[in-house]
Amino acid sequence: MKLLVVEDDETTGSYIARGLREEGHRVDLVTSGRDALIQGTSAQYDVLIVDRMVPEVDGMTLVKTLRGAGNRTPVLFLTSLGSVEDRIEGLRAGGDDYLVKPFAFGELSARVAALARRAQSVEQETILEVADLKMDLIARRVTRDGIEIPLLPREFALLEHLLRRKGRVQTRTMLLEAVWDISFDPATNVVETHISRLRGKIDRPFKTELIHTVRGSGYRIDA
Amino acid sequence: MPRLPTQFRSMPVQLALALVALFTMVSLISLGATYLITQRSFQQAMQADLTQDMAGFRAAPNALALAQLVEAEAQATDPERMVLSYLAPNRRHFGNAMISRDEDGYHILTGIPDNPLIEGQYMSLTASMRGGHLTIARNLREINALRDVFLRVLGLSLVPTVLIALSGGLYLSRRSARHVATISGTLGHLTSGDLTARVGPTKHWPADLSAIARKIDTMAHAQQESMTAIQQVSSDIAHDLKTPIQRVAVHLSDLSQQPELQGPSQDLLGKAKEELDGIVSVFHALLQIARIETGSPKANFERIDLSQLCETLTELYEPAASEAEHILTFQRVDASNIAVNGDKGLLGQLLANLIENAIRHTPRGTCIIVNLTRKGDHPTLTVTDNGPGVPQAERDLVLRRLYRMDRSRTSPGTGLGLSLVNSIASLHDAEISLTDASPGLCVSIVFTPIGTSERL
Repeated sequence: MKLLVVEDDETTGSYIARGLREEGHRVDLVTSGRDALIQGTSAQYDVLIVDRMVPEVDGMTLVKTLRGAGNRTPVLFLTSLGSVEDRIEGLRAGGDDYLVKPFAFGELSARVAALARRAQSVEQETILEVADLKMDLIARRVTRDGIEIPLLPREFALLEHLLRRKGRVQTRTMLLEAVWDISFDPATNVVETHISRLRGKIDRPFKTELIHTVRGSGYRIDA
Repeated sequence: MPRLPTQFRSMPVQLALALVALFTMVSLISLGATYLITQRSFQQAMQADLTQDMAGFRAAPNALALAQLVEAEAQATDPERMVLSYLAPNRRHFGNAMISRDEDGYHILTGIPDNPLIEGQYMSLTASMRGGHLTIARNLREINALRDVFLRVLGLSLVPTVLIALSGGLYLSRRSARHVATISGTLGHLTSGDLTARVGPTKHWPADLSAIARKIDTMAHAQQESMTAIQQVSSDIAHDLKTPIQRVAVHLSDLSQQPELQGPSQDLLGKAKEELDGIVSVFHALLQIARIETGSPKANFERIDLSQLCETLTELYEPAASEAEHILTFQRVDASNIAVNGDKGLLGQLLANLIENAIRHTPRGTCIIVNLTRKGDHPTLTVTDNGPGVPQAERDLVLRRLYRMDRSRTSPGTGLGLSLVNSIASLHDAEISLTDASPGLCVSIVFTPIGTSERL
């Protein structure tokens, strides 16, 4: 993927760029809103990662200008502020996702992947599967190795979310937002306990594990 | 019409009513005095007439002649106007009515005893004459009519005054009510945190109200300026501090990638990361409390289904609670869903903090019950545990920023959980109280019913 990072702090900017390059992306790093405007309009990017407070043209104005010019590239805002209004303001300006500093690289990487994916078409599937685990979305039935596994509604939703994003990391905050519609960060690691219960039902009784923990980031379902 | 009483309590109407009362009093006194004087002089005139009538009869030389004179006079007189009655010495009666008075002097008679056809009040003069008693009575109709005339004059002068004063007062109050409503609406918005609210142009307003309006606008402007300054400062601080925090996180992350790092160093790194997370959460919570206390999140208020929120949050925390060997349940009393006006994220945070607090500060085996009900019209949320509770003396203190009870100093937490709950509750005009659940602690939050909160 081709990504543009707009970040005025050198340490943070180069850290993001380095990490994303290691994951195999092509990354352009600019330190001011004006440069970002020039880069963003002259080249085609898959995702823009924009700090809200950058010199010359601030992040909000940058995104508003790009959107005004018909540019629909997904935007991930980085911000120091974490309040709800701040978030709403950012999303209204045309941002697609929002990440509060300080963040772990895993969180950023997972969100960038999700944004790039979101821009592509959404397939209408009725059966989701990974290895011998099958989820029938119409009958709302989950089986593994032919054995039916009864799940609670929220466990079903959690598993569905992971299955729809097979092979991609989902962070705890991403899961909280998608499955529970919660936008704040709880102090207790509540997602971990739900994943652990889900594992107890779909992984532990079987030979191979499907839900993997990605250290420092989140979870991923894969064969 | 529920508006009427308030309007009658408005200042212009009150003034009008006071004026009406004063005018009525003055009119009553002056007209009353005039009436009394006029009546007195009419009575005196009548008494003079009666005395003169009496004098005419004194000319009669004896009782018989007097009787004849009375009879003759009575024939020519309408008893409705004047009554003549002579009680002769032989107890015979002459005249057009019989009045058996034997004490001399003026009297007021109501009706003539022997003649029910004659009604009304009469003024009579009785005098002993020629061995008998002569009574002459004149009808008081004219004098009594005077009272009606005066009452009519009073009415005629009062009714227009009352009408004019009251409608004038109502008109003025209606006019100023609009201005007063504009002012109080603006003040309401300002109090609820919308600092952009202004009374606006006050052309054609009364000078006093317009002066007040201008003062309010000036005050709001100053407040907005200082609030913007504070917000600028806090967002600068946030940015200036977050950047180095982010850098530390970056360095720690780079460090953890070093392959030569040994076990103890890895442990230290883990601890450093934990501490950094702690700093971040305190920082976040402080920033959030500051934002909430400026009231700015109120702009995003919407109808929130509290029942559903409670269900989601208890369901979210249930596995974590059971892992810590606590029993977390949601008791919904009402079958129908309870909604409040608020910010979903903040209300979720409030509930999460209460649940986390209960899990964190109680021993294993503690039951935590989230309950949502209505107290009258007020949606009421309670989180009750049967743990060790909070001593009476410390209940107010735990709502304060960074206050931690001695026994919880060693357990994790920022010391901001309950003070964040407190600010979120007061942002929602909700009443928070900590009570003894004997044993344990019961935190209850009483919300304002939808539609009655703010909006004057």
